[in-house]
Amino acid sequence: MRKKYLLVVPLCCFGLIHAQVTTENAQAPAPSSKDGQNKFAIFGNGEMTFVANKDNVQFGDVNFKPIFLWKISDQLFVESEVEFETGEGSLDIGLEYLNMVFIANKYITLHAGRFLPKFGAYRGRFGEGFLNRFATDPVGFGDGGIGAMNEVGIGAQGGFGIGDSKINYDLYLSNGPILLTDSANAGQFEYEGYIGNNKGKAVGGRIGFLPLTNSSLEIGYSFQHKSDTGDPGSKYENIGVFMQAIDLNYYGHLTSLKSDVRLMAEWKYQKVDNATYYDANNNPYTFDNSPSTYYVAGTFRPVHVHNIFVHNLELAARYSNFKTPAEAPWGGPEKDQFAISLDYWLKWNSLVKLTYQTQTNEVNTFYGQVVFGF
Amino acid sequence: MKKYFVICSAFVAILTVNLLLMSGCAVSQKVQNKTGIQLWGENCGRCHNAPGPGEFSAANWEIIGRHMRVRTNITETEEKKIIDYLKSTAN
Repeated sequence: MRKKYLLVVPLCCFGLIHAQVTTENAQAPAPSSKDGQNKFAIFGNGEMTFVANKDNVQFGDVNFKPIFLWKISDQLFVESEVEFETGEGSLDIGLEYLNMVFIANKYITLHAGRFLPKFGAYRGRFGEGFLNRFATDPVGFGDGGIGAMNEVGIGAQGGFGIGDSKINYDLYLSNGPILLTDSANAGQFEYEGYIGNNKGKAVGGRIGFLPLTNSSLEIGYSFQHKSDTGDPGSKYENIGVFMQAIDLNYYGHLTSLKSDVRLMAEWKYQKVDNATYYDANNNPYTFDNSPSTYYVAGTFRPVHVHNIFVHNLELAARYSNFKTPAEAPWGGPEKDQFAISLDYWLKWNSLVKLTYQTQTNEVNTFYGQVVFGF
Repeated sequence: MKKYFVICSAFVAILTVNLLLMSGCAVSQKVQNKTGIQLWGENCGRCHNAPGPGEFSAANWEIIGRHMRVRTNITETEEKKIIDYLKSTAN
């Protein structure tokens, strides 16, 4: 545990000390802005999803996701997203994130609160409303997949250029995943961690490298480790977990086809310490708990074609795979998923998605989704 | 497993510290000369369709710029140049 604090805390302290020096040396800002310093705005998404397959035809999943932003000063910033969701059949209100941000200097930004995950790039960035070209998540990247939807803790992040390239980084300390040991979920994790279950904390980080001058390619490596994930006093207290992810994102123009293309991919792997669990009849068993998942996706939009209808269209295809331990009660055969989507952009942040998806042991399903950004 | 953790932690820590120390004067002239409109096209489009300057007011662009810096780790210089461009022709 000490290693984790040695890693994150000095970076935060360095940022704070450096910021203090910078602030003391700076001259008092001239009151030049007629807008005032403390600026506030609300943006966000509205979403509705239609689902149709041989067993079910439903309008559902109506979500309202306002994002509240406060630029309190040049150094202080608050961002928060609240979710109103109806996918479970009743209104569910949740705090997606509340991130209190301190810009320490050009290279270090400190933050505390509940924040979007920095493990991988999909969950914290590409899985959101109008950024996701599909009405669904890749298998293994949504609920029941590997990694958190949110983290509660503190962190440091930043970005800077080197030559023609750019680097960005995230480093954080969070409550981290909590090991589940009941007979149905033994060996799985509750990732949300609103509060921790013991004194153990997870440390994680991501390094992103953009090697090309025009920033069109980003390759990222992420990790997260927590050495104590079980309940205190239980035989599972010291079960550790180590996760790694590699992500890739490319965005470019095909001049000859007057189009923009995107390629995205991510691989995630999780290794959990060996443990003996008990089934519903109290029989002991163990298994190699190392699930993995990946997806690759590509999109094509003829955005430079003059015909308005055509240039508002975007075609997307995605393949994903999720390997879970066959012996685990929540495991089973490898899952393959293929999704193809035809989207129509009504505005830069508002679109209609028509997605057709096939998945191992699931019925083929058509999804229609409307997302309005505001 | 601890071996992997130590290796990864050391990798991230060393890389971060080194890059922070190096970063002050290492940006190429080509990158330094990039304009706000150029950076807007290159960076915003990486995740979503890039909104035009007329989409928001100048005050809102300032807030959005900070939000995007926090969400995507664009550099301070990129944030400033992009927002200056968007504010210059905003509503």
